[in-house]
Amino acid sequence: MAVVDVHRFAESITCHAWSPDLSMVAFCPNNNEVHIYKSSSQDQWERLHVLEKHDQIVSGIDWSSNSNKIVTVSHDRNSYVWSLEGGEWVPTLVILRLNRAALCVQWSPKENKFAVGSGAKTVCICYYEQENNWWVSKLIRKRHESSVTSVAWHPNNILLATTCTDGKCRVFSTFIKGVDTKDPKAGSPAESKFGEQILQLDLSYSWAFGVKWSPSGNTLAYVGHSSMIYFVDDVGPSPLAQSVAFRDLPLRDVLFISEKMVIGVGYDSNPMVFAADDTGIWSFIRYIGEKKAASSGASYSSQFSEAFTKFYGQSKATTANEASESSKSRGGVHDNCINSIVPLSKAGSPKVMRFSTSGLDGKIAIWDLENMQEELGHQFY
Amino acid sequence: MAGGGGGFVEAEAIIARIETKSTKIESLLKQYKPVEALKTALEGSPPKTLDERCKSANWIVVHRALMAIKDIEGMLNALDVEYYDILMKYLYRGLSTGDRPTCDQCLKIHEKLTERAGLGCILRCLSDTLNTV
Repeated sequence: MAVVDVHRFAESITCHAWSPDLSMVAFCPNNNEVHIYKSSSQDQWERLHVLEKHDQIVSGIDWSSNSNKIVTVSHDRNSYVWSLEGGEWVPTLVILRLNRAALCVQWSPKENKFAVGSGAKTVCICYYEQENNWWVSKLIRKRHESSVTSVAWHPNNILLATTCTDGKCRVFSTFIKGVDTKDPKAGSPAESKFGEQILQLDLSYSWAFGVKWSPSGNTLAYVGHSSMIYFVDDVGPSPLAQSVAFRDLPLRDVLFISEKMVIGVGYDSNPMVFAADDTGIWSFIRYIGEKKAASSGASYSSQFSEAFTKFYGQSKATTANEASESSKSRGGVHDNCINSIVPLSKAGSPKVMRFSTSGLDGKIAIWDLENMQEELGHQFY
Repeated sequence: MAGGGGGFVEAEAIIARIETKSTKIESLLKQYKPVEALKTALEGSPPKTLDERCKSANWIVVHRALMAIKDIEGMLNALDVEYYDILMKYLYRGLSTGDRPTCDQCLKIHEKLTERAGLGCILRCLSDTLNTV
């Protein structure tokens, strides 16, 4: 299998992020704290810091690789930027001006801005103002009709994609005068107006999660709660959208491991691989760890036999054991929903060889694709 | 007023189409071709309208074809993959009627369809609140 390391850190993990040298991991154990662990040797993790400033659950963490700053956002409507000073993490409050929970955060590729998605139907773009020595938040108030579940930066540091529980994926321009430089080759003038919506994708009928850009910024991928994954090539005035329906439970997050290959993670607790063939058609390839067909068939039938016996009023005693056992023996690394997948490589690199996943079972698993290159095929090169 | 009038005409047009479908299905069933009948019934579903009468009319037609199916495996073999999601929606409509023979038939088909199409099919049926049947 492709799993290199698995460690159970807590009851449940909300989100996680890695340090620039990939030796330390910061995560939220489903409470208001952020724990930072360092790995000393194989499977030996020691807790170095506990960052305690938020009042409610920390819903998003991102660790910048160049400036070594951690940004955390929480359901308490606040955000802190943490800097390492003299071995201790010192927080700086960022006033987001939100009246609902913050749900997700990401540093921009140049790390001079970060984006926060919130339940207030707004996206906050925060940048550092040198004169006043504080972080300023600019809000994109228009367009979203519901909570913003996920944000993703385009490599050009200006375009931002968001997914929302109204089912739509939108791309905005976050150009800020004084922070961003206007690219003379840039497309339309609309791209230089802050908060201008470039594109709206209406592909999903249900909640949308987990949007990501491909390494070149040419393709977008996001998932819908209806067990669908959406790929949009040539994002711009005439995009090429594809909806791929798959067999199993919905996904929560995706990651581009190369220009033509995407890994999706979600309620099946097993990462799924999607790839585009030479004609550009995306489809489901396989699970990362091969799920044995026999066990999956057995788990379905035992769940349904329980339902059928309920329907006809027979006793459930015998079938109840089967159902609980089958859910544990899903034959994988994670026992519960995986809600986050993070690359373990330099941001903007064209290929991702290692990534980590964290989930509701409290485990963080590190996956290495070094030995799987032939199995994944030429789309991975 | 004009919008209301236009909507009314549309619904009538859809019901007329459903009626032609219904006669075609009756003839197919008389020829002992229940699979063909179901395919015809599922085509053009769900009717792109918010009108409950159209949806009910279409359901009656699909129900007639569903109840005539005896060989479920054979039917699913012959049905194209793109019809799985819409068939699942009608199965849930059937299960919601509470009528014993309908529910028996729908449950039988549901088990086989889930084996083929997976839990994702059920998810798509449950989460799509726009195109209901």
